[in-house]
Amino acid sequence: MSAPEPIHALAFAPRGSLGAAPAAPLRVSFPARDIVQVMLRRGQDAAFAEAMRGAFGMEPPAPGHTATGQDATAIWIQPGQWLLTAPRGVEGALAARATAAFTGFAAVADQSHGRTTILLSGAAAREALSRGCRLDLHPRAFGPGRAASTPIAQIGCLLHQTDATPSFELTVFSTLAEPFLHWLIEATAPLGVDIA
Amino acid sequence: MLRIPCPHCGARDEVEFTYRGDATVTRPAPDAGVDAFHDYLYLRRNPRGWQVEWWQHNGGCRAFLKVLRHTVTHEVRGVATATETLEVPEA
Amino acid sequence: MSQRFRLPSGGHVDRSQRLGFSFDGRRYEGHAGDTLASALLANGVRLVGRSFKYHRPRGIFSAGIEEPNALVELRDGARREPNTRATVAELFDGLSATSQNHRGSLGFDWMAVNGLLAPFIGAGFYYKTFMWPAAFWERVYEPMIRKAAGLGRASGLPDPDHYEAAHAHCDVLVVGAGAAGLAAARAAGAAGARVILAEQDFLLGGDLLNEAEHDAWRSETIAALEAMPEVTVMPRTMVFGAYDQGVLGAIERVADHLPEPPPHTPRQRYWTIRATAVVLATGAHERLIAFPGNDRPGVMLAGAARTYARRYGVRAGETAALFATHDAAYDAAFALAEAGTRIAAIIDPRTDSAAMQRAREAGLAVRAGSVVNGTVGGKALRGVEIGTVGSASRGDAVPADLLMISGGWNPAVHLASMSGAALRWDDALLAFVPEEREESAWQRSAGACRGVHGFGAAAADGAAAGRAAAVAAGFDAADIPLPDAPSADHRPYALWEVKGGGKAFVDIQDDVTADDIRLAHREGFSHIEHAKRYTTHAMGTDQGKVGGLVGAAVLAEARGEPVASVGLPRFRPYTAPIAWGAMAGGEVGRHFQPVRRTALHGVHDELGAVWMDAGIWKRPAYYPKAGDTDGWASVKREARAVRERVGVCDVSTLGKIVVEGPDAATFLDRVYANTFSTLAVGRARYGLMLREDGIVFDDGTTTRLGPDRFFVTTTTAQAGPVMQHLEFHLASAWPDLDVSLASVTDQWAAMSIAGPKARDVVAAVVHGLDVSSEAFPFMAVADCKVAGVPARLFRISFSGELAYEIATPAGYATHVWQAVMEAGVPYGIEPYGVEALGLLRIEKGHVAGSEINGQTTALDLGLGRMLKKKGEFIGRVLAQRPGLTDQSRPHLVGLRSVDPARQIRAGSHLLVDGQDCGWISSATQSVVDPGWIGLGLLRDGEARIGSRIIAANPLMGEEVPVTVTSPHGYDAENLRVRT
Repeated sequence: MSAPEPIHALAFAPRGSLGAAPAAPLRVSFPARDIVQVMLRRGQDAAFAEAMRGAFGMEPPAPGHTATGQDATAIWIQPGQWLLTAPRGVEGALAARATAAFTGFAAVADQSHGRTTILLSGAAAREALSRGCRLDLHPRAFGPGRAASTPIAQIGCLLHQTDATPSFELTVFSTLAEPFLHWLIEATAPLGVDIA
Repeated sequence: MLRIPCPHCGARDEVEFTYRGDATVTRPAPDAGVDAFHDYLYLRRNPRGWQVEWWQHNGGCRAFLKVLRHTVTHEVRGVATATETLEVPEA
Repeated sequence: MSQRFRLPSGGHVDRSQRLGFSFDGRRYEGHAGDTLASALLANGVRLVGRSFKYHRPRGIFSAGIEEPNALVELRDGARREPNTRATVAELFDGLSATSQNHRGSLGFDWMAVNGLLAPFIGAGFYYKTFMWPAAFWERVYEPMIRKAAGLGRASGLPDPDHYEAAHAHCDVLVVGAGAAGLAAARAAGAAGARVILAEQDFLLGGDLLNEAEHDAWRSETIAALEAMPEVTVMPRTMVFGAYDQGVLGAIERVADHLPEPPPHTPRQRYWTIRATAVVLATGAHERLIAFPGNDRPGVMLAGAARTYARRYGVRAGETAALFATHDAAYDAAFALAEAGTRIAAIIDPRTDSAAMQRAREAGLAVRAGSVVNGTVGGKALRGVEIGTVGSASRGDAVPADLLMISGGWNPAVHLASMSGAALRWDDALLAFVPEEREESAWQRSAGACRGVHGFGAAAADGAAAGRAAAVAAGFDAADIPLPDAPSADHRPYALWEVKGGGKAFVDIQDDVTADDIRLAHREGFSHIEHAKRYTTHAMGTDQGKVGGLVGAAVLAEARGEPVASVGLPRFRPYTAPIAWGAMAGGEVGRHFQPVRRTALHGVHDELGAVWMDAGIWKRPAYYPKAGDTDGWASVKREARAVRERVGVCDVSTLGKIVVEGPDAATFLDRVYANTFSTLAVGRARYGLMLREDGIVFDDGTTTRLGPDRFFVTTTTAQAGPVMQHLEFHLASAWPDLDVSLASVTDQWAAMSIAGPKARDVVAAVVHGLDVSSEAFPFMAVADCKVAGVPARLFRISFSGELAYEIATPAGYATHVWQAVMEAGVPYGIEPYGVEALGLLRIEKGHVAGSEINGQTTALDLGLGRMLKKKGEFIGRVLAQRPGLTDQSRPHLVGLRSVDPARQIRAGSHLLVDGQDCGWISSATQSVVDPGWIGLGLLRDGEARIGSRIIAANPLMGEEVPVTVTSPHGYDAENLRVRT
């Protein structure tokens, strides 16, 4: 029996155009991601950074920042902890790679199923997010390569900006992805949104 | 609503934090006895003025922070990580 | 005749746009740019409401948010909104408004008889009268008071509109867009700061809207602001409160000026604004003078009459008198005279002034050294009685249908005071103003709200404040062009009250008179905060904006002290009323709180599950099937399947935490009351956590996945608190431990397969693992594949049967569930819900949240043997306190209803010889031995096993005999679990 594909937490979410119909609507999509939580061991900062460089070609990003390597992105989430994300691949492969690279320096927990990522993109993305996000996302205060965890609509959200469009990847607990999406739809519909 | 400057995340709204009380009490040694644990758990100075408090930034980086807050004006004058110490001003 | 009082030209209304509206069913017409109040006055409507307590006729008193009288019900049906101030309600075509607070018609109000009873219903009347008999309060007095008093009626229907929250950040927030605010915003914007300029009005300009000669500066400044990309101008946005550290709240009335909100547009938006620096340019409110009959329709604040003439092009009367105590108020008389109103008299307690001279030169009759000591008229003003200062005798009367009054100006210090500014008494302005603040302060006031009046002076003050605010926010100062204009003199003569016969109101909305304030003082309520509450002074929607200080002055006189030492009641949010809907924002209906769903939610839905809430989770309570007579039938069917065959249950909601690191085992030994360092890799153990005070905190099974890696499970309810508990102790008590924590609750879906046939089902779906009891005994754990996908198999049981738990990455949960169900067909597998799970664990005697309720110790729950004898753990020391080890504490017992048909309920008291000795914590029907059973906590419980006691439920009127049993009645030797 061949292994089935996992079901995405938002597999049954609504798709299509919603709300007002402006010239440039917001775009919402659900990129499939492998996500691994990496937790630094005490006093292993240098060895861990070396392992990160070797295995993924990047430095562990500083608080509030992200780093992008050859085939993965690291997002700072809390002191000594990062999420490592990459496009969906073979089940468990990213976690296995991270475990192999970081054993002795950092603990690894696969969160590929536990976290769900929503991509929001478009000129009005900041305005839409301001309906629930308490953070200052103005270009003077935030930008591509920046990340922050914050509750949005009572749901913990890891938000990181990927480009200056602006585009934001919003990563939430998978069991709360559906109510989070409902909030996002309500926040974006007045500005017009295409959900792909 | 307080704004608490998290040393990792920057200034964030109070709703992102959970209050955990006086950060100057320390957990007694295991053999310290009932009275020491009683004092650690129940006795608080409840000052009118400056107090160092635990606030967990559980809506953000989840770090337990020490916050120097004035209990009357709500001014926040300093924030430190759990292993750092904060001096309490006189007045 | 339509709009009889509208001037042919002038002001900021668009006479080419005619807007139809109705008031009390009559049709009228107004113009774009009108408020409901200005449109009513244009049509000669003077009587707009009845007062709160005495039901006295009332007219439009002001032209702004301070309005005490003109509160109307706006719109009809579900959108009907009571207590809307006509003076700020922007007119739209089709608006319908109704006067409120009267029985019968507005013109003839039956409740006006309260006015005749007035001597008996003064301040404190409710407290003194409606005291006895107590039983009358709820049934008689309160409904009567509610009917007689109160303001408008809520629609009683769900609000069809939606509201939303929004968040904003800026370097400089400027509140108010009068001369000071406009200049402040421009100065801060020119410095490069991100600026938000919030103005409650729909037009920017504040008092500048009354000064046509300065309109060019207004327009030019607005254009300059619009050209600055980092300046956001927010009209129709009222800042209602200042909170800590530069946080302010505001309501944006997005669609209040439209018949109904367009699609996808909220009615209002609730803004939380975080500003590095704040400039308050909130202006000032004109105050009344207390004199007999000062509430008659036709009595109006002088500045309001001026605004109606200059901004709205409306004469508020045919023949007007002005009663003023300072020069600035004279502009109202000039404005009305220009508008064609006859000025009957200017009454001024002062002997002479520059404005008086100008008025005389303009041919207006000035009565120096005079006061108004009465008004003539009923539902409308007909005349004004004029006396001399200091004389009690009534003087002559002059006819007038409009009396413009001004006792001076109160700086709008609400937001300044809320954000921590001290208030200082200004002897010249006779008002409280904010203390000057340091140059570096993050918050400052500018313009009339700190007593700087007049266009030129306010603009200069605003520019200075805007510049300083930008500097405080880290920008370089910038200069802006400033106008040059002289200021009128706003310093009033100290006249708070004209004493005489009749009611002199200090709070027109709450019907509080100067005599009420004196009564409060006589009865000992002399502190301003006490007098306020005793009389309801300044407690209405206007919060004392026009009369608050006058009441304080009356109190000061009664106390024989200066007003400065009496002070004002504390300012608190909200500065003006806001809608409940806006506070709720979008968090209504399904957005009230998020609903958390397991990966198997769709599967349960297809099976027709009846849902129950577990915190924010949705869990299947049970799965009804054809033939089930009721919910209990379904629950018992599911439980029997587990006891007799096999069942499957979604347990994904349990909290799951990976604890990893060289010190992981040490850490778990300290946070659990039992030991985990001795646990073998690949084995699970039941664990009990105590709070520091010795009370049981949580329980669950914990597995050792590797030497330094553990998998902790928590109960559904305590998953979050347990994580915080672990984090707190790692941060505060044991920072030396090298341990990391990761919540993997969402990563893993989990299902329990329980029953005598569980092994057969599991063996059919698991690959690469020998699941025989020898190879995979009770409490074994191993990674494996289930139906081709990665999984982890646990042999643990909550039901008391042979049971396994399969955990799988959440995306595979449906696949695994379906494989299990398919494999279970030959064995008669049934899905079971939380209710059956509860039934099974009560039969087995396992404790859950009803027993681990924050009051019980390990000893109470019969788990005392789990407390390790050696080594430290949280709760160890304080659990030894005598009160927690007392043998007579309620102890866990099983209970069985003597009559199997008689229900027992959780929450019932356990009575022994009539004494209350405990309670039932959980109850259910048994499937092993049919009848009602339960768990409970009973004093001397173990000693009472076998005895018969009473389960009393006074709420249900029940007393049910029950037998006390061991809680572990079912398979006490655990043979079924271990085979």
